[in-house]
Parts: sequence; C-alpha cells; structure tokens
Amino acid sequence: MTKEEVNGATEDEQQAQSKKALKKQQKEAEKAAKKAEKQAKLAAEQQSADEDDFAKDRYGLSAMVQSQQKLDRVLVRVQDLTPEKVDQLIWLRARVHTSRAKGKQCFLVLRQQQFNVQALVAVGDRASKQMVKFAANITKESIVDVEAMVRKVEQKIESCSQQDVELHIERIFVISQAEPRLPLQLEDAVRPDGEGEEEGRATVNQDTRLDNRVIDLRTTTSQAIFRLQSGVCQLFRDTLTNKGFVEIQTPKIISAASEGGANVFTVSYFKSSAYLAQSPQLYKQMCICADFDKVFCVGPVFRAEDSNTHRHLTEFVGLDIEMAFNYHYHEVIESITDTMVQIFKGLRDNFQTEIQTVNKQFPSEPFKFLEPTLRLEYTEALAMLREAGVEMGDEDDLSTPNEKLLGRLVKEKYDTDFYVLDKYPLAVRPFYTMPDPTNPKYSNSYDMFMRGEEILSGAQRIHDAQLLTERAQHHQIDLEKIKSYIDSFRYGAPPHGGGGIGLERVCMLYLGLHNVRQTSMFPRDPKRLTP
Amino acid sequence: ALLGKDLGALRDIVINANPAKPPLTLLVLHGLLCQRYRVLSTVHVHSSVSGVRPQLLSCLGPKHADSYARHMFQLGFTLIWKDVPKPQMKFSVRNMCPIEGEANVARFLFKLLAPYPSDPALATLVDSWVDTAFYQLADGSAKERAAVLRAVNSALGRGPWLSGPEFSLADVACYCCLLQNGSAASTAANVQRWIKSCENLGHFGPAQLLVK
Repeated sequence: MTKEEVNGATEDEQQAQSKKALKKQQKEAEKAAKKAEKQAKLAAEQQSADEDDFAKDRYGLSAMVQSQQKLDRVLVRVQDLTPEKVDQLIWLRARVHTSRAKGKQCFLVLRQQQFNVQALVAVGDRASKQMVKFAANITKESIVDVEAMVRKVEQKIESCSQQDVELHIERIFVISQAEPRLPLQLEDAVRPDGEGEEEGRATVNQDTRLDNRVIDLRTTTSQAIFRLQSGVCQLFRDTLTNKGFVEIQTPKIISAASEGGANVFTVSYFKSSAYLAQSPQLYKQMCICADFDKVFCVGPVFRAEDSNTHRHLTEFVGLDIEMAFNYHYHEVIESITDTMVQIFKGLRDNFQTEIQTVNKQFPSEPFKFLEPTLRLEYTEALAMLREAGVEMGDEDDLSTPNEKLLGRLVKEKYDTDFYVLDKYPLAVRPFYTMPDPTNPKYSNSYDMFMRGEEILSGAQRIHDAQLLTERAQHHQIDLEKIKSYIDSFRYGAPPHGGGGIGLERVCMLYLGLHNVRQTSMFPRDPKRLTP
Repeated sequence: ALLGKDLGALRDIVINANPAKPPLTLLVLHGLLCQRYRVLSTVHVHSSVSGVRPQLLSCLGPKHADSYARHMFQLGFTLIWKDVPKPQMKFSVRNMCPIEGEANVARFLFKLLAPYPSDPALATLVDSWVDTAFYQLADGSAKERAAVLRAVNSALGRGPWLSGPEFSLADVACYCCLLQNGSAASTAANVQRWIKSCENLGHFGPAQLLVK
C-alpha cells in the first residue's frame, strides 16, 4: 500500500464523517429546538395552570414553625375521630403513613401514635387537580396539618384503627417534610415473623431496627410495648407506695463492687477509679439500717458481663425492693409476690389494647398466674427434675436449660407462668445470704420466674456483723473493701430481705417476646453503644 | 405405692375446680386425708377466674402453723379455683395423665385412705354407686333422681351403708350429691336414717358449710 492511497482513503473517510456529523448536528439542533418548544409550552401550561389553580392557598409547605404566631386552633386527636364527630370540620396534625393517588383522588392514611385514619383529597370545589397532585407527592412520614370534614363511611375501613369515619381534606400543609427514602418501611417492621416469607415480602431484622430506632419506635408494636412498660413502672410504684414503702435514690458511681469484682464497669474518677453499680443492694440495706423500714428504688443497673444472649443487657432498669420483717423472711416473699400479682392484674385489666397490638405481631399465650403465688422449695424442684430424668447434685445451681425445663413442668402441673423457688443451696448464693437455721446446706433465699426465666433473685440478708464477716471470709472477700458495709450492721440492724427485678425482662416475659432488646428503648449490650 | 417413688420431697396433689360448682366430695375427702396424713393444704385462684367467694378461699380450713416449711409435710393438697369444665387432678405430670371428673379424682383420693374392698363384686358395686351419684343424682332429671332415691332406699334396707357393712366412697359420693341438689329433705325412712348416720360421722362439715 502506498502513502497516497492511505491519505486518499482517510480524506474520503473524513468527508464522509463530516457529512454524517453535519447530519447529526442538524438533527440535534432540531431536537433541541423541539425540546425548548415543548418546555416553553409546558411552562406556559404550568403558568396558566398555576394561574387558574383556585385552591393554591389551601395547600403547600408551611413555613418552619418558629413560634411566630399563636393560633387558637384546636387540633383533634386521631383516636377521638369517632362517629360522634361526623359532619364536623376539624383540624388535625398527623404523619402521612401511606398515600395512594388514583386519577382525580388521593387516599392518605394519617397516623398518630398507634392510631390511624383514612383521609381523602378529591378534585372538586374544595380541591384542585394541583392540590391532589401535591398531596400525592408528600413523602411518607412527613408531618402535616390538615383541615377536613369528618364523614361516616358505609363500609368499615379494616386497615385503620378508626374504622367508622374518614376525613375529606379541605386544606393540607406540610409542617415537617421527611426525606423521600426511609431506612426501613413501617409496614415491613410490623409484619409478623414468617408471614413475610410466604408472600415474598420484606421483614426487617433486629439490627436494622435498632440502628434506626427512632423510626422503629413509631410502629404500633413499639408504641404498645413502651406504653405497657410505663404501666409496669407505674403499677410497681403505686402498689409499693400503698404498702407503705419509701422510694429512694441511690448513687450509681460506687467505690467497690457489690457482688464479686469480675463483672463491673470501671470508670476513671479523678485520680483513682470507681465502678458503676451492679445493684443498689448495699444502699438499700443501709437505708434499712437507717430505719426506713421498707424501701424501693427504680434506676439504671450495670452489668459488665460479656454475654450476648437474648436476655442480657449491660445497662437495664432495676426495680429493687428491700424491707425489714418481723419474724420470717416469707413476709418479704409475700410482699414481693403480691406486688407482682398486682402488676399482672393491672396489666390484664388496663392494657388489653396494648397486649393485643403486640400479640398481632408476636403471638403468645396470655400470661397466667395464681393468687397467692405458688411457692415451691428447691428440693421439690429437684424431685420434679429428677422425675423428668435430669441428673443433678443436691447442691448444684439450676442451669439455664434446667430452669426452662422446670418452668415447663411447673406450668404443666400448676398452669402458672409465675412462681417462686425457695430455699436455694447456700453454696450458690452471695456471701450476705442468710443460712437456713434447720439445714446449713440451704439458705433463706429465693428466685422468682416468669415463663421459666428468672426475673428476680432475692434473699434474707445477714444483719449480724459477726456472721457477715464469717461468711465474707468464707467467700474469700477482702474485708477492708467492704468495711463500711459491715459496719452498717454494728449499731443495731433489723432482720430484712429483698430482691431486684429487671424491668425489660418483666415486660419481655409478660408479653412472651423473645429478645430483651425489644423491650429496651435504646438497648446497651457488649456490641451496641448507639443510638 | 399409689403415689409412686419417694424422691424425698413434698408430693403435691393439684386439683383444679370451677368456683361455680365446688367439688364437695373432694373437700370431704380432703378432711379425711388430713386425719390420716400430715397434709399441706393450700388454696389458689387462677388468673382465668375472678371474684371468687371468700368461703371458697378458706374451704380447706385455717392455714397450718408449719405451712412455711413445705418439707415437713407428707402430702400436698393444692386446690386451684380455675375456669375448667370439670374438676381435674394433676399429680405426677410426667408419668400420669391428668384425671378428669370429680368421681375419678374421688376414687384416687379414697384409695389413699382405705383400700377398695378386695371382693371384686363389692368393689364394682361401690364404683357403680359413685357413677350413679354423679350422673343421675347430681346431673339427672327429677324423674331419674326419684328413681335413684328409691334404689338408695332399698339398698339401705339391706345394710347400714350403701355397699354393705362398711362406710365407703359410695356413701360419700351419694351424700354429697344429695346435699348439692338440696333434695335430702323429702326422702324415705331408710335414707333419712342413713343421712343421720353420715352426719354423725362428722366428715361432712366442710361440704355443709359451702352449701349454706
């Protein structure tokens, strides 16, 4: 091949290419022109549309509420939208749970806490086409102010909590806009286990929930769980206050570990170190020695155990009781079990809606109990376990599987989810536990169980400084470190006992849930420190 | 032997009963058991029922002074007022199915007090009276009840107790069923005499208290 030939070829090509390019350019120009024309037309249309949008004052993004005005507007609560309110024009603030546009109509589900109601924007003399379009484009979870007429519906709306009425929206303003993409969908988060798999729908796993706790807490299930939890605290306080108990506050930063040194958090405290309290044990007892007679305390408790189980947290809310008794520590057991029974009854009678809401997502049998509470002795439990084929020594502690098995056996025989196991072997209890006077192998200590899981550990405490010293030495505890504790008992100390309950565990087991993180608002465990 | 192997702990008989229909026979047998064994008696209310009458809460008598120490007793008698269709007994849940029906529970409890007659004919006779008591005397129509009372009357013409010379479960069951449906007053002479003898034994106090 010669050079010329090559050149000629390229020239030809160039020519051809420029022809092609020219054509292309022309086409593009045409396209652009068309586009511009279209845009101009659209803009014109938009403008004309905007101009004849008669409803443009009835919707929109409202200015940030900076408290610039104080309106005399009454906002009705969603739960109060009953047939009594039919044909009234009301204002309401709620979240947009879902929205569904269909031609000239847009259906919204407006949610407020665990209640929701159907709302409708339809083109008519109150709403324009543009208003419907605006309503359809409001992002999920945005907060809106709505003025609407309450209308009766012919057929019950099964998907909403307010089934008898719907709202015909006349004005709608966005107070706070949510970002269009949510980290999890609320419908996915309340879907019962297993149901999603069948229909090929998504479910949300626990870590995603906890990472986006603020959104997860908006679900009806979470709303119900934490309302019930508040009820447990309230009932606990009310019952004990009625029994003549005094609520106390104790320090959480302490100088020495109360129950063995291994599992406490150490914090730096100026030039030395301190610990986070594992239980208010010592302070409760000091209050008894200081003549408070009956005390209780609600507050955080810390455990530095590196156990990643369904029922352990590193920080939880402890409900602690300590009381002086007259002659027998069963007075304490009766007081505590009666408190628990009052809580169960209070929940059964006043929180049925919440219990059923949780049951929809996490089905479980209703919680059963006996009044007075069943009390079994450790030897009886051993006999029941041995009868079931478990081999166990007389002084062995109950392992978790045996605990659960025993729970099943007790449930089978007595049909109760709550019972007390009394007279534990002395060897498996802390040093301050009072030994049994008739058999030194056993102790005046007890555990309480809900659905076969331990919720409370308690005992009669040693109120005699000398015996306490002996027992501490037996457990090889450094007497110097617990000197102030032992000294509390030198100047006259009444016989006393008590115990502590974990709030999260009680809620979890009452509702028959499977993970304590579900009943902890912002759970803390060895792997989670946020949110 | 009836209670199975001794595992060195309290052997607890659990009875579930509906407060709407207290099992009088079982309360009478409880009294008899207490005379024979050291019995730890407790009454509970299950969460399935509410508003149980105070008499029912104290129907097993006052609390034993030693009741804080369960290991000091030979036998537990735990009565649970519960929403059950018929009385039910649970004892050794691993080896024994729950026993349903007041008559059957009564048979079990009575065997802890006295062996059944060794004569099979007599034993069957006792069993048949117990069935008659619960099916016809307690639940039957007025006509059926009248027929049973005639049969009771003629049986008592032949001996002091329903099944012959010895007081037995037949007498306990029939007496309690008569007491429950309140038809004891208008009966024949032999029955009247037998009722007196039953009352003289003093076993029926707890049942009489509940009917009032």
